[in-house]
Amino acid sequence: MNGTTNFLTAVLLLLPSISFADEPFRPVPGVFAPMEKAHTYRGELVFVDHANRRGSIRVEGSGMFFRNSPHPFAMLPYGMIRRHGAPSDLRDIPLGTVMHVKAFLPPDPRTSPVPVLAVDNKSKDANHNRGTGIFPAENHLLLLEDEPSYCLRSGLVWNLKSLEIEGSQGKITGVRSAKQQMPSSTPEETMTFDAATRIWRGRELLSVAELVDEGTWPSSGKHRLELRVLIGISWKPTPNGIFTRFHISDIWLDGIAIRRATKSQTAIHKEFIRSRWMPAWIDKVEYGKFGTATVTATLFGGMDASLYADFKKGASARMNSVTDTLKHNHGAYGPSHMACRGPILDVRKVTGAVPLGSSGIQIQLKTDLITEGVRPGRIVRIWPGNWPTPNLPREEYIKKGLLERYPTPEIFPQFE
Amino acid sequence: MNELQRKKFFLTVGLISLLCTLTVAAGEPFRPMEGEFPSLEQAHSYRGELVFVDHANRRGSIRIDGGGRFRFTIPSPFAMLPYGIVRYRGAPADLRDIPLGTLLYVKAFLPPDPHVSSVPVLPVDNRLKKLGYAGTGVAPAENHVLLLEDDLSHNLRLGLKWELTEINVTAKGSTLTATRRTVNGSDAVDGSETFSFDAATRIWRGRELLELTDMIRNQTWPASGQKVLDRQEVHLGISWKPTPGAIFTRFHIVDIWLDGISLTRATRRQSEKHKDFIHGRWMPAKVDAVEYGKFGNAKVTATLFGGMDESLYADFKNGSGAMMAASENTLKHWASGTAGTAQMASKGVLTMVQRKKDNTSIGSSGIQVTLETDLVTEGFRPGRIVRIRPNNWPLVEVPRDEYLHDGRNTINDRFPTPDIFPKYR
Repeated sequence: MNGTTNFLTAVLLLLPSISFADEPFRPVPGVFAPMEKAHTYRGELVFVDHANRRGSIRVEGSGMFFRNSPHPFAMLPYGMIRRHGAPSDLRDIPLGTVMHVKAFLPPDPRTSPVPVLAVDNKSKDANHNRGTGIFPAENHLLLLEDEPSYCLRSGLVWNLKSLEIEGSQGKITGVRSAKQQMPSSTPEETMTFDAATRIWRGRELLSVAELVDEGTWPSSGKHRLELRVLIGISWKPTPNGIFTRFHISDIWLDGIAIRRATKSQTAIHKEFIRSRWMPAWIDKVEYGKFGTATVTATLFGGMDASLYADFKKGASARMNSVTDTLKHNHGAYGPSHMACRGPILDVRKVTGAVPLGSSGIQIQLKTDLITEGVRPGRIVRIWPGNWPTPNLPREEYIKKGLLERYPTPEIFPQFE
Repeated sequence: MNELQRKKFFLTVGLISLLCTLTVAAGEPFRPMEGEFPSLEQAHSYRGELVFVDHANRRGSIRIDGGGRFRFTIPSPFAMLPYGIVRYRGAPADLRDIPLGTLLYVKAFLPPDPHVSSVPVLPVDNRLKKLGYAGTGVAPAENHVLLLEDDLSHNLRLGLKWELTEINVTAKGSTLTATRRTVNGSDAVDGSETFSFDAATRIWRGRELLELTDMIRNQTWPASGQKVLDRQEVHLGISWKPTPGAIFTRFHIVDIWLDGISLTRATRRQSEKHKDFIHGRWMPAKVDAVEYGKFGNAKVTATLFGGMDESLYADFKNGSGAMMAASENTLKHWASGTAGTAQMASKGVLTMVQRKKDNTSIGSSGIQVTLETDLVTEGFRPGRIVRIRPNNWPLVEVPRDEYLHDGRNTINDRFPTPDIFPKYR
């Protein structure tokens, strides 16, 4: 009896905290939002407006997946995208990829670049057999990651248990589980594969037909599998009246294969950040005389460590104001031409726990000509002195007006 | 001048006038006729970077190479013609398959009907206009595309290859210099071109994916400095990204196929992907004729669109069962709400499948089929677009963004205004 009472008491004590964690959370501008308070969902990337760091995702709800209209989302300024276990930009993610999302309400609804919805939207049934939770108001993203990134971050692998194959296509059933042979807490999932599924082994790219030819997989029938791998997941319509079944786009059979995939995506993103500059926000501005100022900024998180290592005390850096979408604000002259310049006075690592979104690295830059936009809480991009200085394409910088910064939600097709 | 001389004079003048007209006509903006497949030769050609994709409406934006400063060029909206073909890695593709940033070659026309254009309608002489530093021809009125293909597909179609002549590896940025030549000849098609490449460039050899470090480790390429590459034959995947060093237009190599095996594998994979896509979305076609019978009976004759894998056409067999559903110019299904295309489609038997001998456009497969149905539905009219499913293809429900909703959709849903594109002027 005592045991039961204690258990019930524990459950009752726990319930409010679970309920609180699931409450809609609106981040405060200037503070990195805690991931524990994010609303979690997953879905298929359907539409991308990479220049404005936003897009649409078909959110998995409790109903018929194909009926769900793509749901607009925007990346928070410090929101991170990860592909193949590495940092990435939205343009790097193939359409159709199933992504895991951690999201919040818009920090400031007045400047949201995507539709602002009722805060309780995630608990509404969308009707027409679409189910609940397919258009949450939490459409400002802290983290958007593909399946291998999610598994690598969470210390999980896919334990593939059975294979049903005919020709080069079929179904695989598996479950995510911890790397150590722990029992899984998530349900089994059956997914399709086909002749276009990429199978990575070492530095080889194989097809299903080649696995069959070499005798690794049978050519037909239902069979037991014992594979612990990482997989890439996408979605395509499923025959036979099945409403929600995902598709395996990639299988990484070994550590070498996934490390090479991660390395390649890391190289793409490093080059991207070196040309677009490191995003950060302003913590403090100490104004001097005749336009001089000392600016303290926190670099955003999720980048490759080698990029942060380029920020060195004494280096001659440049800092340019950007919008919440991380677009440079300089017109056609180029950020190098318009940025504040000056030496980095200090680079320090913040002590204590570092929230996701922040790198935990703070820099202090002294400039003799502070420009508009470099104010506490605002976003900047910083060039540390040894990166290349290419000029950016037209859609990646602002030239005119607020509407250009935040085009109306009409950019998204209306399907209702 | 006697009668014979006068006749010869007028004949000569006439011929000269005709030749002049033809010369001008070949370079003139061309507007395809509704219901006809235009020929590739009449198209305006350009190339550029794919910047934005709205695959559900078969349109997007491309940053066109106008001989100026590439980065200043505003992405120019384009729409695929209903019979327009997308090719990636030497195989048929959908717009969603092409990574943003890819350099594409375009063959395009004026909008067949400007009233229903799903992208902005521009002055017909726009391709001659110089737009500041961006250069000339960066926003042509020819924005309805018959053929959109990546560099690999472009080379394979025209029997071309790249030859690598020099590599230069430096800490500040590496380059490869290459010349495009005909496969069976030694003549260079263009002058040599210098491209950037980096640690993320994918190098395909047989069934291996190599990295730059692998090429350096096996001493094929230098760790730093220049090396002459002795005209190594390759195929390239080309994209664009901002170039440092005040270089206005330099493209970037994302893929190198070192041999035929790697190339064949890339083409096969994309081909499989697209076959599966067409199985799910059905074969697009244009209605040629409708013969109405009694009580809803009809014989509908249609020409299947071109550019698909041959195995898809082979599934259209005389005497086999099939479904036919009305579709938009964007090839969206008209599913009549959420009932689904299969439920709303006309069902029947293919009573005729024939290949025309005089097919002159890549937009047409040259294959004509007749479906005899006992319940013809609205949308099957000569010149209109349909999608056809042979009964041995899988039956799937297409996602919400790929069908129109009966009673809820308006003309604005079918053709959203150009406001869908961000304005950067």
